[in-house]
Amino acid sequence: MKKIIDALPLVVFASLIIVLFSFLSDKDDQLETALIDSSFPDFNLGSLSDESRLLTKQDIIKLPALINVWATWCIACRVEHPFLMKLKEESILTIYGLNYKDNKLKALDLLERDGNPFEFSIYDFEGRLAIDLGVYGAPETFFIDKNGLIRERHVGVIDERVWEEKFSKYLNE
Amino acid sequence: MKECGKKNFLNILMNKLILFLLFIICSLQVSVEEGQVNFDKDAYPFTSETKESLFYSLLNELRCPKCQSSNLAGSNSPISNDLKREVYELVVEGKSSRQIKDHLVDRYGNFIIYNPPIEPATYALWFGPFILILLSALVIILVRKRII
Repeated sequence: MKKIIDALPLVVFASLIIVLFSFLSDKDDQLETALIDSSFPDFNLGSLSDESRLLTKQDIIKLPALINVWATWCIACRVEHPFLMKLKEESILTIYGLNYKDNKLKALDLLERDGNPFEFSIYDFEGRLAIDLGVYGAPETFFIDKNGLIRERHVGVIDERVWEEKFSKYLNE
Repeated sequence: MKECGKKNFLNILMNKLILFLLFIICSLQVSVEEGQVNFDKDAYPFTSETKESLFYSLLNELRCPKCQSSNLAGSNSPISNDLKREVYELVVEGKSSRQIKDHLVDRYGNFIIYNPPIEPATYALWFGPFILILLSALVIILVRKRII
């Protein structure tokens, strides 16, 4: 009995260390997503390519779809751009862009130069829809299922691995 | 020999005292940082003082989602400024503190508030320290009574 009790502090300490270390290896600091399984928020914003064209939730009709939060100031967005182009070219699913706090001309220029993977991009200069989505940086990607519900969210670069691990399962539902 | 023991004792006492003072100074530092917010008050005009004080108290209580270890008041990142604007608009609309916090928690999760609610996911956070205190007290009692 005494031996067990003597060893207890060490055991407790060791398990604490193990638990804390396991948090360290959790390399992405993704926040919880409050919006999982809720419907996409309402919005009323102009289109990036044509400001006079007002977009609302009703314009997101080709479902399931990805909503990708991007900007020209966001370097990681350029990293994932080729992958988004690939999703589009292979017609895997529709991608809608949410151009976030960006310079419109630079944004259009980038799409012109590197290709446009988006069905259209919502121009959110003030970050209003972004707040309703709980966005805290770019890039972020949301998966919306055929019923218009947000099913998954990824903060950071989306690539083949992330797509397979987090998103593709919802496509085959 | 006796002299030497006294010196040793004084040394130890001094060390403890210095540690204690350092500890106090560190805690003071934190509270000063929390209280100090440099603000351009003209950027957020209010018609009533209650609304104004609600606004600034919310900025202190809400956390910046991008910087992760500072509140909205202490952060000047674009997302913080957007959230300040959002909070400002809600305060002006006449929403209560509770309503505004719920509004943001619905979007950003509990992460956004520095004062998380008591629910299963936060039990460890709220009750963990008390359990640790009880356990330590238990251990001390057992050791004193020479049971262990």
